[in-house]
Amino acid sequence: MTKHLRIELIVERMAHKRACRDLETAGLTGYTVLPAMAGFGGSKRWNRDTDLSASGDMVVIISVGDEEKVRSAMTEIGDLLGAHIGIVTVSEVEVLRPGRF
Amino acid sequence: MVAALLRSQMSVPESIAKGLAIYLMMAIGLKGGVEMSKNPLTMDIMLVLLAGIVLSFLIPLLAFIALRLTTKLDRIDAAATAAHYGSISIVTFVAATEAVRLSGLDSGGHLVAVAALMETPAIITALFLASRGGARREPVAGSEQGELVREVFLNASIVVLVGALAIGWIAGEEGTASVQPFFVDLFQGVLCLFLLDMGLSAGRGLRQGWRQLSVPTVGFGIYMPLISAGIAAAIAGLLGMPAGDAALLITLTASASYIAVPAAMRLALPEAKPSIYLTLSLGVTFPFNVTIGIPIYIYLALLVAGQG
Repeated sequence: MTKHLRIELIVERMAHKRACRDLETAGLTGYTVLPAMAGFGGSKRWNRDTDLSASGDMVVIISVGDEEKVRSAMTEIGDLLGAHIGIVTVSEVEVLRPGRF
Repeated sequence: MVAALLRSQMSVPESIAKGLAIYLMMAIGLKGGVEMSKNPLTMDIMLVLLAGIVLSFLIPLLAFIALRLTTKLDRIDAAATAAHYGSISIVTFVAATEAVRLSGLDSGGHLVAVAALMETPAIITALFLASRGGARREPVAGSEQGELVREVFLNASIVVLVGALAIGWIAGEEGTASVQPFFVDLFQGVLCLFLLDMGLSAGRGLRQGWRQLSVPTVGFGIYMPLISAGIAAAIAGLLGMPAGDAALLITLTASASYIAVPAAMRLALPEAKPSIYLTLSLGVTFPFNVTIGIPIYIYLALLVAGQG
């Protein structure tokens, strides 16, 4: 098994295309976007049901890649989160088929 | 709304609520288009369309000044909030259309076109107001050219509303007769269901976001629609609009967006706090307009039309 980095980004839905572009530009070979149901942050609870415009919805974006690509994506995503609501974490993971990343 | 404030678990599933919104916009667009097909496009109608655009450009300016003078909101938050008050709420418009009809007044289909035209100019004014604070604003990180323009001009409500309006206008009464049972007969029932969802959304939004709102900010959510209504009533009077049309123009001007503008603001002014502008427009102004505002606007319209 080979070690890679897993980047997990929780970001507002309206910014997710910008974040996905950053991942693609960094050369990451894939990512998955998942909807978030509800949460708490900035002293405020939020819920998908509250906002018909869905502009307040959050999504989770997960991607795995080698360190160089993930670190490159992190720089761009750091800029993105300067303006948009969200958090990003990176963790070390083991992958079965390293050739895919 | 009360159910949501009391933390009821009751909710309309999200995808159904979105479907209902599309249905309502399509129904109101078709109805407006059919009405427009019955009469030629006169200079009077063109002036009303122009008035709608001018109001949508100007109201955010007034809203911005009011917010900066009476609240502690910074330039970005004030500009983003002002955009919501220059744009329109299609649900408030639909509710007003029904109220006008039940008051025995007639309204022209071109007011649907006014609604579509009033959605976006406010966003442009808000971006101008936000950028005056300093040097030219840097593009938001990761933004793509054309992304905001697509969101502003091709959002679901504009596409459905303008599309249905065009179809109704081209097809006329005969052409749309076959869809009448679905889009006309069911309309009021669907509107009730949608207003139930809106009430729940407004109540939840208010419960979750009220801490972010100061008393002057909540006050703005109540008095700004009345100021906008007063200005629209004056313009309706100057244009000699019939009472039904005037009531709808006043309602459109007084209403605040909570669908198109919040989405555009997240793209264009992500630093602005949605908990302020969304709570204010959805949790304060929307319920105020639907319960107290619309009867006032109809009364104002009757006054300016000389029927009061």
